[in-house]
Amino acid sequence: MCDIIWCKKKKDGKDCDTINYLDPYYFWNWEGTIACAECGTVYYIHMINGFMYKGPEERPGEKPDTRPLYADKPYDGYSNYRPGVEGRTRPYQCMPRSWLTGTADMVKFSIRGRPVRGWRPQPKSAGLAGTFGFNWDIQKLSPEVWEEYQKKLAKGEVKDW
Amino acid sequence: MAKDPRVTRIEDLPGPKSKGELEEMKMPYEEYCKKIFDVGNEHIKPNALKGIKWLSCTMYIFTPNSVVNLAELGAEVIKIEMPRMGDAMRHTSPFNECYLYPLHDTRPMTGTGLGFTNANNNKYFLTMDYHIPEMREHFYALVKKFDGLTELYRPGTMDKWKIGYRQLSEINPRFIYVWGGGFGYGPKMFGGSYDILGQAHAGLASVTGMHEYMGGHATKHTNWIIDWESGNIITSGIMAAIHWRRKTGLGTMLEMSQVQTPTRLLGYTTTMYGKFGIVRQRWGNWDTQLAVHGIILCGKSDFPDADNPQDKFDARYVMVSAFQDADFKELCAITGLKNLYEKYKSRNQRCEGEAQVEIYAALEKWAADKSRSQVAKILQDAGILAEPVRNDREVYESPHYRERGTVRWLDDPLFGDMLLHSGYSAGLMEKTPRRVNWHWRPVGADNKRIYRDKLGIPLSKIQEWYDKAWI
Repeated sequence: MCDIIWCKKKKDGKDCDTINYLDPYYFWNWEGTIACAECGTVYYIHMINGFMYKGPEERPGEKPDTRPLYADKPYDGYSNYRPGVEGRTRPYQCMPRSWLTGTADMVKFSIRGRPVRGWRPQPKSAGLAGTFGFNWDIQKLSPEVWEEYQKKLAKGEVKDW
Repeated sequence: MAKDPRVTRIEDLPGPKSKGELEEMKMPYEEYCKKIFDVGNEHIKPNALKGIKWLSCTMYIFTPNSVVNLAELGAEVIKIEMPRMGDAMRHTSPFNECYLYPLHDTRPMTGTGLGFTNANNNKYFLTMDYHIPEMREHFYALVKKFDGLTELYRPGTMDKWKIGYRQLSEINPRFIYVWGGGFGYGPKMFGGSYDILGQAHAGLASVTGMHEYMGGHATKHTNWIIDWESGNIITSGIMAAIHWRRKTGLGTMLEMSQVQTPTRLLGYTTTMYGKFGIVRQRWGNWDTQLAVHGIILCGKSDFPDADNPQDKFDARYVMVSAFQDADFKELCAITGLKNLYEKYKSRNQRCEGEAQVEIYAALEKWAADKSRSQVAKILQDAGILAEPVRNDREVYESPHYRERGTVRWLDDPLFGDMLLHSGYSAGLMEKTPRRVNWHWRPVGADNKRIYRDKLGIPLSKIQEWYDKAWI
């Protein structure tokens, strides 16, 4: 279940009538401003344990902290903004919140010194419709990691366990 | 066998039939086990479930784990995920962001978190927005070719989308349909569930941890044991359904409520209440039936200079079991607590709550100036069952787990060097062992393979669907 902001703001003489879905994963305990995906009206909300404790209250002129995950218009044949639409719905970066997790702990080698794809960004490598083969050609796709690996091998830093 | 049953032929008698067999029978049992299980060479043996084809509309751990059991045993499993985003569990990482990349070419900054681990091995990954009418026909096409499906949506959601059991069993009467979710039908039909909710709702957390007067509280297990175990219970149901289908030719539906599983794990708790009206108590690291049979705290860490707090502070616990009279006598002798033996000579006396408080407190006082390994060694040398409570690193370094292949390194074809246990922690099988081919694959990694090769969809159509984010 997620809470919603049903925006009733007038836009171009018509009601906005857009349902902005607040994905509970991000909004369970959250306070801040959020913009309607359709008309951009900024609302303040304060949620505690998934309960809308305060709001939504309009906050004209304020900059929104975030955007809804998804939005649709039931009176317009359920036309919708899917997740990740720039300027409308929240982008998928899926970076954990910095105050919770600190910075990303990226790695290129496992604890026994062999290559592992734990860093980003990586070169695009998918084929049609996101299809992948069954082999990571590290030498071709990540030559700098390959070189580093060769040096580790030469130094005897690569172990079995 | 000879035609005349009165004739005895040497080759019909039990025993070795050749020199090789003779040598094998002379082999010590341990060597024999090593030979037949042949840990590390699982991939040269057949797959038990080869030929079984399964669809998985699952997320998180519970339902994916029910399907990964099939995939590790050789079934062909296709996991159908949301286009471009995938299973929500991909975005759940341990707190220091252990991500593996790429997740999907459209999202170069996003990876799959290690929370996804072990529940998705060997699966093929397809993306399909199966709730839109445009894709329904293609979903049906898959159902016609597959043996079963596992899904986890709120009860009736797939039915509403016209891809529930009622519709799919019309298309494929041999189809086995599994729903796994929070509560199932009943008063809380629309209640979702998490592992912790299962532990709480069914009373498992009420008997986990130390009693409040000992400083404990109702406790959940750190890991998601209800998710993992619920998945295993589903798999046993699937196996039974497959066997049933073999006999009758008919599919069936399984409905598995996650909050049921902890009741299964609670053993005699409910029955005891039914018989005596006794509500079971938390007993923490001790045991209500046996004493001594628990975990004690030692004074010194085995790794006082380590950086990791789990090593530095927590490497102080030892499991001790000396509940038989002779063992308890020895334990008291070796720890200088002979007065305790005189006081609590019988098992029944020792199991009383007050006795346990006194015994464990005395043992911890004895261990207060010793490290964990010292305590374990003293007890083991006296013939008492004792083992340090190990952490992850020590499990990794344990020769026991290495020799049996429980923990091992996998050169994952796409993600590189990964340490895992997964299928290898589920026991050994001689002829058809479990195996892990890959940890997981990116979102939609097998789109072309499945849409074109299995369903005959032209590449131009696949591209069109991809551009519309239908797949």
